[in-house]
Formats: sequence, C-alpha cells, structure tokens
Amino acid sequence: MGNNAYANPQVLVSTDWVAQHLSDPKVRIVETDEDVLLYDIGHIPGAVKIDWHTDLNDPIVRDYLDADHFSALLQAKGIAEDTTVVFYGDKNNWWACYALWVFKLFNFKDARIMNGGRKKWIDEGRELSKIVPGYPKTTYRAPSRDDRKIRAFRSDVEAHLTKKLPLVDVRSPGEYSGQLLHMADYPQEGALRGGHIPGAKNIPWGKAVAEDGTFKSAAELQELYGSQGITPDKDIVAYCRIGERSSHTWFVLTYLLGYPNVRNYDGSWTEWGNLVGAPIEK
Amino acid sequence: MLTRQEQLEWILDHYENPRHKHPLDDADAVVEGGNPGCGDIIKVYLKIEAGRVVASFEGEGCTISQASASFLMDEINGRTLEEALAIDHAELMENLGKEIVQQRARCATLSLDTFRAAARKRERAQQLPS
Repeated sequence: MGNNAYANPQVLVSTDWVAQHLSDPKVRIVETDEDVLLYDIGHIPGAVKIDWHTDLNDPIVRDYLDADHFSALLQAKGIAEDTTVVFYGDKNNWWACYALWVFKLFNFKDARIMNGGRKKWIDEGRELSKIVPGYPKTTYRAPSRDDRKIRAFRSDVEAHLTKKLPLVDVRSPGEYSGQLLHMADYPQEGALRGGHIPGAKNIPWGKAVAEDGTFKSAAELQELYGSQGITPDKDIVAYCRIGERSSHTWFVLTYLLGYPNVRNYDGSWTEWGNLVGAPIEK
Repeated sequence: MLTRQEQLEWILDHYENPRHKHPLDDADAVVEGGNPGCGDIIKVYLKIEAGRVVASFEGEGCTISQASASFLMDEINGRTLEEALAIDHAELMENLGKEIVQQRARCATLSLDTFRAAARKRERAQQLPS
C-alpha cells in the first residue's frame, strides 16, 4: 500500500496486512464497534472485542478507566507492552479511532488502524469467525493516564475561546446549526441547547473518508482542513457530542497529517450544550 | 431460561430476520424516532383495527435497536392499545436480555418510545374535530 504522503503511514495497515498477520503472536487485532453486537455476528478470525462503553469507561464517573483497570483489560486480552494492536470497526472506524485515542491516553506504544474497517474486510469477501479466542494473560502494566497532550477539558475550551484559537466541530451540519437535538415527537436527549461553540468550524468527521471507508489521501485531507484554517501550526481542539467522532478527526489530524497539537474535547456537546451560561452560536 | 449465548442468538435472529418490518399505508399514525448522533432510526406505523393493535416498523441502525423493534412488534400486534402501552422499559429490556442490552438502553428502548409517541399522535388526531 502506498503511503499517500501521510505523516505517519505506519499507523494505517491494509486488510492484506491484517490477513497476513492473523497468526502473528506480536499482533493483536481488536474490534471496536458502535454497534456492539457486530463482533458476535462475525469478526476477523482471532480478533478480540473491546467495547468502548463497558471496557474503556469508568462505570460511575464520566471518565475513562484508570491505569489499574486498563492494565487488567490488556492483560486479559493478551496484549503486552510490545504488542502491535490493530483496531478496526464499523462506521468508517469511528469507534476504532476512539479506542485508539483511549489507548494513547496511556501512551500505548504501537496502536494502528486497519484502513477501511470492518466493512472493507467484509466487502472483500474475507473470512469471518464467531469463535471468541482466548490468549495467555500478559503482565502488562499501564503508566498513569496522562490526559494533557491529547485531551481537552471544559476549562481548556474556555481558554481556547478567550484566545480565539481554532475549534473543529465534527458533527453534522444539522447538529452544528442547532436544528438537530432530537427527532420530532421523541424525548429530548443529549443537550438542552443546540448550536455550536462560538468560532468553531464545521468539518463533519465523515468527510475524511472515502466511499469504501478508507481514509482520503493526504492531499485531500490537507485541503479539507486547511481550507478552513485548520493548519498544523495551530493549537486545535476537536469536539462532537461525546468525543467519539472527534477522536476520528483527532486521529486524522495527528497521525495522517502530522499536526503536533491536537486535542479531543470529549465532554463535547453533551457537556457544553448543558452548561449554564456557556456561550453558543447557531 | 436462555443462556447468554442463546439470548444473543435470539437477538441476532430478530436483527437478521426482522418481524413486521414494512410500511403500513393506512396507518392512523406514523412517527419516526431516533438518535441523530449515532444513526439509529425507527419509524413506527400504527393503527387500531377491531380494538387491536396493528403495527409495523421500518428503520436502520444498530443491531440492538433493530432487533428490539422486531421483538416489540411481535409483542404488541394483536393486543389492545392499553395492553401494548403497559409494556415498560424494564420489561422490554428483560425480554431482550438485560445483561446484553443494558449498556445500550437507549438503543433497546428506542422502538418502545417511538411506538408510544405514535400512540399519542394517534390520540391527538382522534381528538381533533373533523
């Protein structure tokens, strides 16, 4: 696979590469989906499942798991410090990128994405399995989580606003404009107010991928973001509703385009849209 | 009582072979419900014939939301509206397999909430002067 001039081409692996490494003891294929039962319908042979909700989140506090729980998770999945973890999933690797982002909160060394995700694997007629594999438990120990480099909190976004630094709202245009919060005749959910954080540019996350779910070329991505003033010299914060779609954009900007300073605001609109007194634009 | 694996296979069967998945041209009420963020959409068609519920759905989205809709349609068709509306979130999730769907409660109950919205819409329409 050509590198399309990505800044970090090694973070994307092809379906061919995955097929060739199914039995590689140094590689662990991990499926993470928005549709949580897809893995059970059939998955890449040998792949394990990480459910972002039950496996990566604290069950009580709105936060991600701590180092002890992350260590236990990886030990149980047969992942060691030197394992190459390859994530894939549904919806253009949306949740796979989210899981990768959480792994990077713990500075996990070698985490990659299978380009095209689950759909590409299936469209190519490749084998699926229902067998849930077991792997020997490892002795992986996670460092303490360090959120500062790639995670933005509300106070960071407020400071960003004061300094008029760039924000990327990766939701749909309807959500960005505030038209969409809930469907008609359906209980209101998510946020009490619609709109976007003032000054945020709307670049929907899905624009970064082609029809087949693979990421667009570096040139196309540079145009997509650069044309809206989202350039590598800036301190950028991306957000969506709960930080899952914006982690996909974080991945694109950080790894494919090599932007050095990108953070994901995972509080996102479910926090900002419910905050008393927070400024909103429509 | 089904094992977890059996429950899972039952849910997947509803997803892969959905019951009552079709439009209803002469419905008394049609309501679309969904989660704009994650893409689950359920459209419920409802009419009452001879005092009994006739309902169907269309939709797209995750396995749980679609399987739930299929199961719910099976449950409510043929019941009185009062009986159908007595089904609550807890009962629905218990029948689907609480352990499997509890982390996706919103997806699991989308069909029920949309059905209830359809019932309300039908009731409002019935109250309007013709």
